[in-house]
Amino acid sequence: MPATDAKEFETDVLVIGGGAAGVFAAVRAKGKGRRVLLVDKGGIGSSGCTPWVTEMAVFNEKWGDSREQWMDYCLTNGDHLLNRPWLERLLDDSYARYEDLASWGLPFTQTFWGRPHRAGFPSVPSKSLVIYHGIKNIPDVLRKKVRESGIETVERTMITDLLQQDGRVVGAAGFSLDRDRAVVIKSKVTVMCGGAASFKPSGFPVASLTGDGDAMAYRAGAGITGKEFVDVHWTYADHPAWGIFQTHKFLHHPWPMKLYPFSRMPVPLLKSLFKNVKGDTVGGAGLETGSNIIFEAHEGRAPVFMQSPVPGTKFIYHRELVGGASCGMAHHKAEGIWPIGTEGGTEVPGLFAAGDALGSMQCGADYRAVTGMSFSGSACQGARAGEAAARYAESTGEPHIDDARIAELTEAIFAPAKRKGGFTPGWVTQVLQNTMTPYFILYVKEQKRLKAALTIVEFMRDHLVPMLTAKDTHELRLAHETRNMVLNAEMKLRASLFRTESRGTHFREDFPARNDNDWFAFVKLQDVGGKMVLSKEPLPDEWKPDPSVPYEESYPLRFPGELEFLKGKRTII
Amino acid sequence: MVIEYIDYRKCNCCGTCVLRCPVDVIRINREEKKPVIRYPEECMSCNFCTYQCPRKAIRVGRDRPADTVMAWG
Repeated sequence: MPATDAKEFETDVLVIGGGAAGVFAAVRAKGKGRRVLLVDKGGIGSSGCTPWVTEMAVFNEKWGDSREQWMDYCLTNGDHLLNRPWLERLLDDSYARYEDLASWGLPFTQTFWGRPHRAGFPSVPSKSLVIYHGIKNIPDVLRKKVRESGIETVERTMITDLLQQDGRVVGAAGFSLDRDRAVVIKSKVTVMCGGAASFKPSGFPVASLTGDGDAMAYRAGAGITGKEFVDVHWTYADHPAWGIFQTHKFLHHPWPMKLYPFSRMPVPLLKSLFKNVKGDTVGGAGLETGSNIIFEAHEGRAPVFMQSPVPGTKFIYHRELVGGASCGMAHHKAEGIWPIGTEGGTEVPGLFAAGDALGSMQCGADYRAVTGMSFSGSACQGARAGEAAARYAESTGEPHIDDARIAELTEAIFAPAKRKGGFTPGWVTQVLQNTMTPYFILYVKEQKRLKAALTIVEFMRDHLVPMLTAKDTHELRLAHETRNMVLNAEMKLRASLFRTESRGTHFREDFPARNDNDWFAFVKLQDVGGKMVLSKEPLPDEWKPDPSVPYEESYPLRFPGELEFLKGKRTII
Repeated sequence: MVIEYIDYRKCNCCGTCVLRCPVDVIRINREEKKPVIRYPEECMSCNFCTYQCPRKAIRVGRDRPADTVMAWG
């Protein structure tokens, strides 16, 4: 592979990631009259989770929505650990973003009377607008809008590192998948919309989401939060690599989208880690009773099930489901770059972030029964970050980067391709998956197991990642993704060890209850002199659940063994 | 299997699948100017290509074989 004549670009606003957040950020920044460049390692509009969107949560008081009800509902479901200002911004902006998308040509399903059809359960305040055949329409509409807006795009180009000068982010560098060459982009300001982080799981179509945004920001000095939480999406027990996303909702019956309410599957307040699990599913394994988990009892399956909407059954679409399909990810909007304010700002000058790359904690410690908030959240955050970045670009000077620094970085980017021997990224990824995806590591957590996994991940960080090899640009992409995934694994394990309580999708077998006294706080990870340092960032006391309300009512969903633990009847392992 | 084949009787070589594949499975064969399945081991069975293909020329299967991956090379 020939290296490394660099192709250079210069722009005002650089947006990394072409999903929903990235497109909104780019369009907004362009609307403010700035030069905008949008870069993606795949195609614009087809990135990350964006193609899999089916609905958009839209709040509108004119439709009878109550802000108080939405907030209360999200607080209860997110175990009160919400970044309230970000949720407020979602409620403020979601209708305007819906109007944007509708004006761009995105078809929303309508009722017989021609009004937007709102899906949702009568008892649940949060409602979503259903997007007609989203997998086809969303990528096309977003892509068309980017083209029409005159935004410069660079596709099939992986960005690996942010460029910094005197602490300020002044661009980014990476390489083109098709042209065997480095790409250097100088920008006044950068908006990171790199999406979520996973370990290339087999049951969920998120293998392109390897935490690149979080990793780049971390290396640039930004704080990272929400890593202890996990996504609990599910797949079929009989075909784990062929999840629901690939079948009924999209492939075989795209037409029921119009009849969506009748084929709708999530059950409000029940869709969560194991809190939905009833005695007749895996209760025999001891989950319901709160005793220690007996792994063999699950017949090799994770103890994470989707509750069927039909009482007394455990099947959906006549199939048994298992959770943990998206291993490595946190639920939407939980993990990511530590936010400053509600304009997409971060701690690093010149760096903004939006979407799943921003740790906005907009839905709290769980993403339960708030379907559609991910897409509207990305749209709202992207728009805000894009505008703020445009303002920043207006007030700042041209970026300056040392040529020596660029040369050094280019060398590092292509290092795996030049290495004579070493480890293939495919194998290192497999070792990482084997370490991190067993459900008793990230789904059912316990100190000793977390520490054991961390030891392996630290070894990978120190001895395997520096020796990654690549025989072509495809493998070079995999090598950089693997490096980012190993960093993500370390962050997830350290954050999980640090938070000695259970909350939302973070379940510690050895601390199976919420602990508001010590842990009404976010966890922040930061690189300090090459060391990963964790800190506790408390939320305001007035955001705590009302102390006059009993614990069981503030937190209506039970973890296995929670009440026994609170009564002191269960000893810590 | 993951991605199984591209039916070249239907394919119009527009390259949409190359751009839309999130994990870089399909590449353009520059000599023959047609898309080819270059890295099937990366396929995540998401079926995005089958949706985006204007000629419905791509077939994606249900199962994922667990390949042996060599550590060094």
